Amino acid sequence: MKTKTTLLFNALLVLAVVFAFSASAWAGKVYKIGFSGAITGPTSDAGNPLSKGIEDWFKYVNDTKMLGDDKIEYIIRDDQYKTDVTKRNFEEYLDEGIVFYLNYSTGSTLGLKRDFEEEEMPVAPSSYHEGNLVDSNYIFIPVATYSENVVALAEYVKNNHKGAGNPKVAMFIHPSAFGRGPLEDTKKAVEAGLAIDIVEVVEHGKDLDNSAMLKRLMSKGVQYVICHTVQSPVATMLKDAKRLGVQAASFGEAGKLTFLGAHYTGGSDLIALAPGACEGFLWTCSYNLTSEGNAKAKKQLDLAKKYGRDDKAANSHNYAAGILQAQIPTMAIIAAQKAGMEVNPENLYKMLQKMSGDKAFDSFATVGPVSYSNIDRIGVDLVNIYEVKGEQFKAISSIESEFMKKVRARMK
Amino acid sequence: MSTNQWLATGNFNTAYQQEQRNFLTHLDRSIFSIFLILLYVWIPLMDLSNKYMLVVDNILIAIVAVMGLNLVTGFAGLISIGHAAFVGIGAYTVASFCQVIGDRHIIITHFWPVMIVISGFVGAAFGAVVGLPALRLKHLYLAIATLSFQMIFQWVINFMSFFNQGQTIFVGRVFWFTGKVGRKDHYMFWYFVILTIVVILGFGIRNLLKTKYGRCLVAVRDNDRAADAMGMNPGLTKVYAFALAGFFAGVAGALHAYVYRGVGFESFTLHESVGYLAMAIVGGLGTLNGSFWGPTALKYLDLQVEHLSEVAGQYLPSTMNLSTAMKPFTFGLVIVLFLMFEPRGIANWWRIAKSYTKLWPFRY
Repeated sequence: MKTKTTLLFNALLVLAVVFAFSASAWAGKVYKIGFSGAITGPTSDAGNPLSKGIEDWFKYVNDTKMLGDDKIEYIIRDDQYKTDVTKRNFEEYLDEGIVFYLNYSTGSTLGLKRDFEEEEMPVAPSSYHEGNLVDSNYIFIPVATYSENVVALAEYVKNNHKGAGNPKVAMFIHPSAFGRGPLEDTKKAVEAGLAIDIVEVVEHGKDLDNSAMLKRLMSKGVQYVICHTVQSPVATMLKDAKRLGVQAASFGEAGKLTFLGAHYTGGSDLIALAPGACEGFLWTCSYNLTSEGNAKAKKQLDLAKKYGRDDKAANSHNYAAGILQAQIPTMAIIAAQKAGMEVNPENLYKMLQKMSGDKAFDSFATVGPVSYSNIDRIGVDLVNIYEVKGEQFKAISSIESEFMKKVRARMK
Repeated sequence: MSTNQWLATGNFNTAYQQEQRNFLTHLDRSIFSIFLILLYVWIPLMDLSNKYMLVVDNILIAIVAVMGLNLVTGFAGLISIGHAAFVGIGAYTVASFCQVIGDRHIIITHFWPVMIVISGFVGAAFGAVVGLPALRLKHLYLAIATLSFQMIFQWVINFMSFFNQGQTIFVGRVFWFTGKVGRKDHYMFWYFVILTIVVILGFGIRNLLKTKYGRCLVAVRDNDRAADAMGMNPGLTKVYAFALAGFFAGVAGALHAYVYRGVGFESFTLHESVGYLAMAIVGGLGTLNGSFWGPTALKYLDLQVEHLSEVAGQYLPSTMNLSTAMKPFTFGLVIVLFLMFEPRGIANWWRIAKSYTKLWPFRY
């Protein structure tokens, strides 16, 4: 009797062990994806909501079993905008065995470019710097580059300018390579035939008053100010322009200044920084804004609500940017699963290169489809032009920069 | 001399040279030798991940830089708030060569020891030039002069296209006798290189302080007029103090460039200069071993605070901003606490610990 009980017990034990091991096999695979960005420190006003977008999207993927039994394990690390720390985080992620990497700043993306090449690691950065694509094969920019945004604005100015002669433009840029890169591309677009006159280039400092600069621009006959920087200097300038009464009431109003800005100059933060002073400000961005009130915007707000985000984060275009950044590897994983391929960096890279035509995906975060190929590593080519109307950004036009294509063709 | 050379107790120096020895007892020498051997073998035995290897390399680079800062600020008493700029000079020396001859040129990849020495000398040259105001300036005014150098450095790097306007300039992978140092061995290789440099430079400082030049540094710090009256040249001393600090910083910069395989402006900002100064204070100004304690303590603290804020962030998702406050807060708090309660730094704890063992086996 005792022997029978022992036998039964042993059999049950073996079964339990076998079940435990097979259960872990049935539980599906876990794919690790790492993000390193400025959640705190400089530029964290953009990096913080962006990281929330990434976190929420991956949570959503796992909660809704978008990958079936497989799951994404996301690791989010704060690098405080320091390339040294980003490098350390990247090394840690490699040790962890990530299949895809999400980076943040322009400086660190350029700084780690060689590492990405050596590791053959596909990367989606939050930086849309044109230089990310030079001498690199593994960086996939989510949306139109900064240069595309700025040149698109210059094209918009040219196409809608009503006065005689070329429109006189001043460039108001960030005193860094981030600001200067698009300026150089705009100058190249002018050389390629874009009929605008760049009268002055202002590399802003930390001025608290721009009156002298605005008066100087007026005296030079400048009619349009294209900004490529971050929100706070633009807000200061807009407030000064309003105080001096030099702000155009409508686009291109003669004798006044019309202000335009690219990507990081606008968004809900600008309205909060310069309430009442940014009416009529024109802004390019490839993200769909919640102020549009469309179905895409609703999806973004629903996602934010599901994971308890506040209104500020939910309505931020940086939150949308985070969502898109996380969607890129997700879609690549889904494509690899469909193709019956193992999910690893090599295959995700291949899947991204085939993400064009009917394999491109529509994101609720963006204004156009996201597509990549072996010669195109910019996801969304389209940019929306938004105008501030009644303290809200509203889309007035969409544009895909033609001159940027010419600039790129010339550089080849 | 006592017959027992293993213990300090009972040993009385009868000649000046005896006091100048690096190791006063055999025990000191043995402990140091064992410690040094351990430093060389623990890394291969521990099999640290690349992340932690990078942290260790970073600490060693900071030690090289802080040794230089300790020479000028600790031993010579000349405040320098632009030390990161000198480190940057070293890094940008390597970067300049990369820009001109290409980052995969044999000089960069094979003659890297020469590049490190050249960077040191370029740092020294800049140090000597920046040290010239020290002939006429003192205290806060001199600090402002070094701060100006930091500002000029930042401006030049940020605006000159030759320096890629502060964006990364790549540095190629180096070669060793075994061939190209690949990604797998990169941090381990540089650990041994930097450790060797730290040991050489450490002995260099220790021996310098025993020479008349080293004693001049301390004499000028304590009272430059008295030093002058005794026949020393305070002006020259101040200039070579800055030159030596520049040399150490230049070497540290070149090592930084090679370890990170690139040079970017943001590693050499005013914030980094303040960081080096903090390391020197926490470690112990005017002590050699303080140059080791300070960087190790602050870099380790930085890492732990990062981990702590991350763990806290997991439990409190809405307080992701916690580390914004925690890092500068702990950094500031540590400096203030040291200045208040232990202005002589961790090196003083080491001195106290050593003094307990000095009289062993006697209690008094």
